[in-house]
Amino acid sequence: MTFSTLSPTWFFGYDVVMELAFAITCLVISLFAFKIFKVTDQRQIKLFGISFGIISASYFAQSLFNFLIISELNENISAAIELNSVLLFDAFGILVHVILMTTGLAVLAYMTLRTEKARIFWFMLALTMLGIFLSVNKIYMFYLFMSLYCIFLVIHFTENYFRHRQGKTLLIALAFLFLLFGNIHFLISVNHQLFYVIGHALELLAYVLIIINLYLVLRK
Amino acid sequence: MNKKRDRLEIIHDILYVVREKKDKALQTHILYKSNLSHQMLTEYLSELLTKGFMIEMTDKKGKKHYELTDKGYNYLKDYNIIRGFVDSYGLG
Repeated sequence: MTFSTLSPTWFFGYDVVMELAFAITCLVISLFAFKIFKVTDQRQIKLFGISFGIISASYFAQSLFNFLIISELNENISAAIELNSVLLFDAFGILVHVILMTTGLAVLAYMTLRTEKARIFWFMLALTMLGIFLSVNKIYMFYLFMSLYCIFLVIHFTENYFRHRQGKTLLIALAFLFLLFGNIHFLISVNHQLFYVIGHALELLAYVLIIINLYLVLRK
Repeated sequence: MNKKRDRLEIIHDILYVVREKKDKALQTHILYKSNLSHQMLTEYLSELLTKGFMIEMTDKKGKKHYELTDKGYNYLKDYNIIRGFVDSYGLG
């Protein structure tokens, strides 16, 4: 099972641009978190910056490999040669994306636990990686684990909203809710390609909300 | 009714007192204005000194006072932005 087969052909290219936009958004959030960490020296903020940095790298990898696949497909169709390199890019792209995204979300979930015990993080990460790589359908299992992490994060950000009832906290809670819906759509997209498109649209909405939040924070 | 302050807010309050005292804040000034127990204040001061938010100085009479570093001033300057970001993601 590959990412390229999850996407309808008419969506080739659009997904690359959207993933690149997600990568840049996550990178901006990560850099901003590190800027705040430099002033505050708070461990939670450092972990948050690391998690968004890793998630950004995972989107960059996904975007790059999807771009390479599209370029290779176009070349191969005209040259009518075998598509081994496409399959290689696809497999490697998935591997990099899965490892980075899983690690990024695990760091984010670990950050919300407010514990200093690093063993908990390694246990979470090992359990998730083993669950994904030992399963028969790795992509399906990956999106299942990502959805579970998102449920956990939605609970954290919803609780945070009820603690600080502000527009900004509501935006972040909604953003992670959209990310959860997006992941659920990716889960279904293993069988229905249209859900891959809807998943991307929901992720786009989530990152727009995150950017609006950053704008509101900086406007102060 | 005042809500419970988090770490970032307590650090802000301590640094604010030091700045208001024109960098000549004694521990008793900070204790009085920051509304902390002596033990809590000692812990926070130790952390702020270690992390370079302020420095401890001793005058000719042997009295200790505190002065903000650039990092301490930057914290106060950017506090509203820090607060907004930290509250948004529940990082406090």
